[in-house]
Amino acid sequence: MVEAYLPKDLDECLKILNEKKVKIIAGGTDMLIQNRSHTGMSIGYRNDVLYINNLNELKNIYEDDAFVYIGAALSLEKIMESDIAPKLLKETILEMASPAIRHTATLAGNIGNASPAGDSLVSLYLMDAELEIRSINNTRRVFLKDFIKGVRKITLESDELITKVIIPKLMFEKAYFKKVGPRLSDAISKLSFAGAYQIYNNKITDIRIAFGAVNVTVVRDRLLEKKMIGKTIEELKGMIDLLTSWYDPLIVPIDDQRSNKVYRKEVAINLLREFIENLI
Amino acid sequence: MKDISTSINKVDNEEKISGQAKYVADIKPEGMLYAFTVRAKIVKGKILNIEYPLLPEGYFVVDYRDIPGQNIVKVIFNDMPVFTEKEITYLYEPIALLVGPDKNVLSKLIEGVHIVYQEEEPLFDWIDSVVHYHFDKGEGKRAFSGKKIIEFNYETSYQEQAYIEPQGFIGYMDGEKTTLIGSIQCPYYVKKAVVQALGESEDNVRIIQATVGGAFGGKEEFPSLIGCQLAVALKKIRKPIQLIYEREEDMLVTTKRHPSRVHFKAAIKDNKIHALSADVGIDGGANIGLSGVVLSRALIACTGAYTIENLDISGDVFRTNTVPNGAFRGFGAPQMFFAIEMFIEHLALELGVDPLVFKKDILVKQGDYTSTMGIFRDPVLMPEMICKAMEVSNYQEKRINYDALDSYKGIGMSWFFHGCGFTGSGEKNIIKAKVRLKKEFDKVEILIAAVDMGQGVKTSFRKLVANILDIDIEQVIFNNPDTDAVPDSGPTVASRTMMIVGGLVARATEEVKKRWAEEKFIVEKEYEQPSYIKYDEEKFKGDAYPAYSWGVNVVEVEVDKFTYQVKINKSWSFYDIGKAIDERIVIGQADGGLAQGLAYGYLEVMNHKQGQIMQKNMTDYIIPTAMDMCPMETYLYENPYAYGPYGAKGVGELSLIGGAPAVAKAIEQAIKRRVFKIPVTPEYIMELIKNG
Repeated sequence: MVEAYLPKDLDECLKILNEKKVKIIAGGTDMLIQNRSHTGMSIGYRNDVLYINNLNELKNIYEDDAFVYIGAALSLEKIMESDIAPKLLKETILEMASPAIRHTATLAGNIGNASPAGDSLVSLYLMDAELEIRSINNTRRVFLKDFIKGVRKITLESDELITKVIIPKLMFEKAYFKKVGPRLSDAISKLSFAGAYQIYNNKITDIRIAFGAVNVTVVRDRLLEKKMIGKTIEELKGMIDLLTSWYDPLIVPIDDQRSNKVYRKEVAINLLREFIENLI
Repeated sequence: MKDISTSINKVDNEEKISGQAKYVADIKPEGMLYAFTVRAKIVKGKILNIEYPLLPEGYFVVDYRDIPGQNIVKVIFNDMPVFTEKEITYLYEPIALLVGPDKNVLSKLIEGVHIVYQEEEPLFDWIDSVVHYHFDKGEGKRAFSGKKIIEFNYETSYQEQAYIEPQGFIGYMDGEKTTLIGSIQCPYYVKKAVVQALGESEDNVRIIQATVGGAFGGKEEFPSLIGCQLAVALKKIRKPIQLIYEREEDMLVTTKRHPSRVHFKAAIKDNKIHALSADVGIDGGANIGLSGVVLSRALIACTGAYTIENLDISGDVFRTNTVPNGAFRGFGAPQMFFAIEMFIEHLALELGVDPLVFKKDILVKQGDYTSTMGIFRDPVLMPEMICKAMEVSNYQEKRINYDALDSYKGIGMSWFFHGCGFTGSGEKNIIKAKVRLKKEFDKVEILIAAVDMGQGVKTSFRKLVANILDIDIEQVIFNNPDTDAVPDSGPTVASRTMMIVGGLVARATEEVKKRWAEEKFIVEKEYEQPSYIKYDEEKFKGDAYPAYSWGVNVVEVEVDKFTYQVKINKSWSFYDIGKAIDERIVIGQADGGLAQGLAYGYLEVMNHKQGQIMQKNMTDYIIPTAMDMCPMETYLYENPYAYGPYGAKGVGELSLIGGAPAVAKAIEQAIKRRVFKIPVTPEYIMELIKNG
């Protein structure tokens, strides 16, 4: 038998984390699947579990001059309905799963799950999202890209909890997320792409490119992006083959039951091309 | 009197929408036990030893040693054991049931079963032919000598029925009577199989249909296997037992649509098709079962909706060490119509002839000989339907516009038919359908074995009888079939239910009408084959079907030039089904069938890797959502068949058949490449575009 903890507030939650070895459950939409058992049997959890989905302290969303702060237990649906959540994030969430899943799933859960096919991660990487992580004695802030170490590998200590997702407020000329799924809704991505840019005086001042499901985690290369800054749109369009050759070695997808690596690679490069071709 | 086609609410809408309908999983008798299936973990080989864990009291192992009768499941071809004794022929082949009161205990116990195998090299190549058919028409092979030859290969892949409700039964002993309540299409198939496995008398086996949550052919023969297993367990344990599959178990081990390969060869004379040869292979999986019958239906459809004078047709069922394949809506026809529709189009292009002109020239006309030298006796409305299809879809203009190189748009059209009822003399020789009507005061009860699996049998049959008698539908009773109450009117398959069983019920109702003044009586009718239908199954000669339903699908698509994803923008469908007994029910069947057929053509991917099905749940096996489907415009044509009630012909399967070739042709136009296999996935489209 496993124990299930249902803390009243964040303090109690952090105390439990400090004392017990537990798996944290926010929306539970992945945990339930990963621990499924026969119909009529209880969920097949192999560890004690801690539910955080009733903690109101983790369900708020607010902003200051520089950042938007999203509570770890806020549902994807609520984020979509929020006025202050970044547009790119809202558009990304709309592509995720189904209305029923979005009703209960959370952003922090998608991050904690650290699947290579996690859709929200692509846009969050693109926006340089950070996390607030708390334990009973400590609060730290870490970049998402440093938090995720590989397929389902994260740097979260056993007494720690993701409490907030922190997203810088950014201005883009254009930013979008494109999901390539096997069907138009309620499906896991074969791959995904996010692109954003800003221009001033016809020169690129900011450009960001991220790919999902083509490597162990999101692919984004800031050095390559730097090399594009300062160029005119025409210059970038003229060097499109060079750009794709830069990204080529970073895109190393796999074959699985959903697609194959040749397709994933080709389409990833195509989506980069589409992004550059449509710069205006 | 109102036109019978005018729609009414389905009689089971309320109980289904409110959740009151009882499915197998809702039936929980006191003291019910659960059964888990012990399965082989290897693909091919022999069991050397099985060691079961120590069973707590009240837990049982049920295996081949417990079978009182024959260890063989009675289907059409009997080669599947109820429980394998030694030989393993596919991954997860059932070995035994573990039965007991607590699922938690059962799942521990099942992990404690240790089996020692002697593994053998599995066979996945299509070389072990276990059924071979051949037939000729006209000059056969001779028609090819000295002619220009054009040949192509076509391939289709698995399709999974993906019914909402997985396979399952609950069973109990009622005195000496083994009673099973199941999610099934064919109560009498299960009954006959159980009678044979138990070696019991007919009176001691009773099969009852629970509300069925979808079937699509998947609950034609497979339930006989688990029905037998459960019956054996009931005999041994004598307590109520539930055997219901989980989704993954269901997808890994139940029958699917046969993958196929077709090699077509045409002999050309005067730039026209003079002769056609087909070499058709289907993958039967580890058992033959229904595969021979599926193959024969495919072969009979080898010329599609066209008349070709000279034929040389061969087909094989290949046995492989993969999950056995079986019945699925369309039953061999979807594979063959995809292949022939593509081939005729490709042939026209090779010959430099407008495909439309080429096809219209050979389109079946009333009075033409079928592929097996039967006759298309009834009027063929296809020219009218095609004309309408082209008009409302603006086919020709779009065809021209989308030919532009960078359009990435396409429109495709398929022409097809479906033979209604069992192939050949099956109805007369094998099924011998019987129906019974019981009149009591102002009520009439329909006693037939036809199953409502969502397709509306309960509504359409009550409506049929009420309409003929000109009484209220509430005066007509139709309960789920129970073999203790209903005669064997045959399985709910082969687009036969309304045309054949409904035809008999209509005749019986006419008699009830004449005798209406009598208070209580029973009327029975038995199937009589129209005297003109004669068929030789060995030689594939004669009328393979008493009647044909016809269809035209037009589909418009757009392909994303960066991701190669296909979006279906719109479909137009035209069906001659004789007469709709309820228009909305027919439209539901038509649009649902088209969705399943389109998805077969471009979306649904299933394959195996070394005998292991790779897409084992609804996350990985992609069926279309409402967002993937398009607005569908559907037109029904009346063309009454003399022996169908009000002229009704087959409906259920027809609408699945044309989707794949229509969408494949639309994609061909969008990407300016020829398509030779389905599903036409983005991965395949990329390959086609890159390889020129």
